[in-house]
Amino acid sequence: MKFLRAFLSTLAGMPKVAVGAVAIFLFLGIFAPWLTPHDPNAQDLLQANQDMSISHWLGTDHLGRDTLSRLIAAARTSVVGMSLVLILALSVGVTIGTIAGYRRGWVEEGLMRIVDVGLAMPSLIVALAVIGIFGTGYWNMILALALAWWPGSARISRAVAVNVMNRPHIESLRVLGASPLRIYFKHLLPTTLGAVLVYATADAGAVALAIATLSFLGLGIQPPTPEWGQMLVDALPYLEASPRQVILPGLALTAVVIGFNLLGEAVALNRVPTPLSAKILRKRQLTAALWTREAA
Amino acid sequence: MLSLVSRRVRNSLVLLVLATLLCFTLVVSAPGNIAVLIAELRSPNASFADIQKIEEELGLNDPIPVRYAGWLTGALTGNLGISYKTGEEVGPALASRIPVTAMLVAGGGTVALLLSLVFGFAGAMWPRHWPDVAGRGVALLGASMPSFFVGALLIYAFAVELRLVPTFGLAGPSSWILPWITIGLLPAAVLSRVVRVGLEEAMARPFALTAVAKGLNRRAILFRDALPNIAPTYINALGAQTGVMVVGAVVVEPLFAWHGVGDLFLTGIRFRDFMVVQACLLIFISFFILLNLLVDIGMIFTDPKLRRQGS
Amino acid sequence: MSTSSPILTVRDLCIDLFTARSALRPVDQVSYSVAAGETLAIVGESGSGKTVLNFAPLGLMPLGVSIHVSGSIRFDDKELVGMNDEALRKLRGGSIGVIFQDPMSALNPARTIRRQIAEVAELHLSLTSTQAEARALDLLKMVRMSDPEARLRQYPHELSGGLRQRVMIAIAIAAEPKLLIADEPTTALDVTVQAQIISLLKDLQKRLNMAMVLITHDMGVVAGIASRLAVMYAGRVMEYGPVQTVLTAPRHPYTMGLIDAIPRAEDLPGSAFRGLPGMPPVLGPPIPGCAFVERCRHAVATCETTRPLLAPTADRHVLAACPIVNRSSEALHAG
Repeated sequence: MKFLRAFLSTLAGMPKVAVGAVAIFLFLGIFAPWLTPHDPNAQDLLQANQDMSISHWLGTDHLGRDTLSRLIAAARTSVVGMSLVLILALSVGVTIGTIAGYRRGWVEEGLMRIVDVGLAMPSLIVALAVIGIFGTGYWNMILALALAWWPGSARISRAVAVNVMNRPHIESLRVLGASPLRIYFKHLLPTTLGAVLVYATADAGAVALAIATLSFLGLGIQPPTPEWGQMLVDALPYLEASPRQVILPGLALTAVVIGFNLLGEAVALNRVPTPLSAKILRKRQLTAALWTREAA
Repeated sequence: MLSLVSRRVRNSLVLLVLATLLCFTLVVSAPGNIAVLIAELRSPNASFADIQKIEEELGLNDPIPVRYAGWLTGALTGNLGISYKTGEEVGPALASRIPVTAMLVAGGGTVALLLSLVFGFAGAMWPRHWPDVAGRGVALLGASMPSFFVGALLIYAFAVELRLVPTFGLAGPSSWILPWITIGLLPAAVLSRVVRVGLEEAMARPFALTAVAKGLNRRAILFRDALPNIAPTYINALGAQTGVMVVGAVVVEPLFAWHGVGDLFLTGIRFRDFMVVQACLLIFISFFILLNLLVDIGMIFTDPKLRRQGS
Repeated sequence: MSTSSPILTVRDLCIDLFTARSALRPVDQVSYSVAAGETLAIVGESGSGKTVLNFAPLGLMPLGVSIHVSGSIRFDDKELVGMNDEALRKLRGGSIGVIFQDPMSALNPARTIRRQIAEVAELHLSLTSTQAEARALDLLKMVRMSDPEARLRQYPHELSGGLRQRVMIAIAIAAEPKLLIADEPTTALDVTVQAQIISLLKDLQKRLNMAMVLITHDMGVVAGIASRLAVMYAGRVMEYGPVQTVLTAPRHPYTMGLIDAIPRAEDLPGSAFRGLPGMPPVLGPPIPGCAFVERCRHAVATCETTRPLLAPTADRHVLAACPIVNRSSEALHAG
């Protein structure tokens, strides 16, 4: 639970807008089945392409499905897919990374060479190649994206693990005769996991984007399951008549990714000092002005 | 320096061989019998004998190393096999599509290069003033909007509503603009952040204070002192983003009905046309290896510490 | 002492420094002056405000802090306090040269030595780039670099610390400044190189007839090069006067402690280290009484409340901010 507390305390220092956007996304994703006003897949051709109304707040698509319900249901698709990809990628990445950081030597060399090759490739090409060979489908997409994302978490885990292993207290544990397994599971793994989880937050946006992109290409989530990228491509032929059906899923996706990207920026260490804000400067000047009065 | 470059070239060649092996293995290990697929393509009710004949034709019964050697010599001479879907030769089809993708990526790259330098530099020149705030806003948006959404919005605004440019196709300069912006926006966003953050970090280093002590103004310090220090980082990021753009062609080309390599690759994946997928992968991966080599050489030339190594 | 009138006169200089965390006063009513061809050494522990004192009024502050300067700095018949940025920028690198403590980080790693020196001459002497590069070569010869032609083509990481500091000096004197400010120019260097750099600075100062302000905490350096000495403690000048007098007969308890702490040749190996007891005060708001009161053996009750100002002592060339000790010494003389 140590890393959970660290994770939460990091979250407290994040930009509120970003935390809000991500929180809404996760909330909608988790509780989607109870939040959708209509069945997201119920077609009603008599109600097709409707404008905003009391019964359909955001209108309907070309098959008469309620857009708001589909947008909410799509959040769930995205949250579930994203979580699966990240869990798989992190498991592989953290395992490989900590082993490399723990063993060092040729094990590290070999593993990191593979990671480097993986990192040199844009992640989408890896995913596309896997889907190209094994075919489309939900699990193929999840596996393809996990395969594309593990090298990143492996590199971060290795960096953290090397850092942890170099700390003096690990050396003293070793001298005291703690078993390698104990060092690995009680000290190395929890610390690494905590750090990597924070970075995963920043990566989640890119994963959500990749799922939507694959679905847009028809290689990811298949109809009729609602998904933002797939909703967008579905509505694209009717762009001229009802642009709202294209813009809404795009906006939803963009908002989520902005949220995650802002979190990522906040996570990245900012080493450059920023000038004082006008407010703080005035406060400091006031403090200094009081000194001279005291002296006089 | 030369020894460093030649070492990088050698590494790249090794990687290239590994890449061909990988592409070959992918297809050999792909599920489904290729001969059956082809036989079905030629006649809907192919017999077992037909399938055996095709296996013989394609050399599918030869030992793996022989098949690899045959495939590789074919690939080197531009013979990349026959599409299972259309029956066309993949090599010429691919060759005719490369210029389209090249033009897309080159145009997008130019957009990214210009926007990132202008926004990144303006942001560092007037930090926390409006050019910086605007640049950062655009960068955040560009990095967060999926390219298919950007493309759709651009088509709606400029082609559908304003009717300034054609919605799709490849017909003269006015039809190039939207695809270029669509594919170049993400790299522009990422790179402008690289420039902005890199310059700011450089300006916080002690040598920037030395430059202030010399009496240089902020613009001169940014240009002369900070810029050379971010060159290696920028080249590295530019290389990575060029790779991202090449893959992005898979999304952008179909959106604007451009028939480039990305479009071909997507069709190949959709119809499980292995020869096409394999050929496109080979082209993509070879390009990435070449790109990484160019980036490495670029970094050797812009980083004095690397440049002097081994000379 | 100084034959000509001072080129730099600092009067009652106060600097308030504002950071994200707090407001503090690292420089509190400091006064001194330097004439052409003269060297003033400013000594003090780290955090005594000696770097802020010299760099903040010139606009040389790291990012993330704001400053407020009051008092007066007259340089070359111009007032620096309140001077606009553009006029100040013309002085920097032109009439005022600066040498930083760490030559490792003060030079740009991505540019050749040639360009880094030549651009100063281009800017302040209005030379063409060819002329400026010829001047860069002359400057490297002036700072006694071996093989100067080859050095010009090199990058900072290819030079040793001592050589880099010579490059830094060449940059500082490129426009023949009237005032050279050197911030601990030898601290980051090997002991053997330190002496060379000091003798080089001394030599250059004579040749160019510069005024020099040397910031240091090394009393050995002070004795070797400076003509006058200002001892700083917690942002205030404690004692100010000719080097020989101050070093041999200090008039302020802090200076006494500082000089007493220098290891001597006659010290037996393993003999106890003579340092000042206690720690200097953490910089913050101005201290109401004497800043040194916590560590002072001679402190009396009024030291806590009344701030002692710099005043002439028995030797009227020496000013000290300690009425207690100086009154008693006068009493001794009288007795």
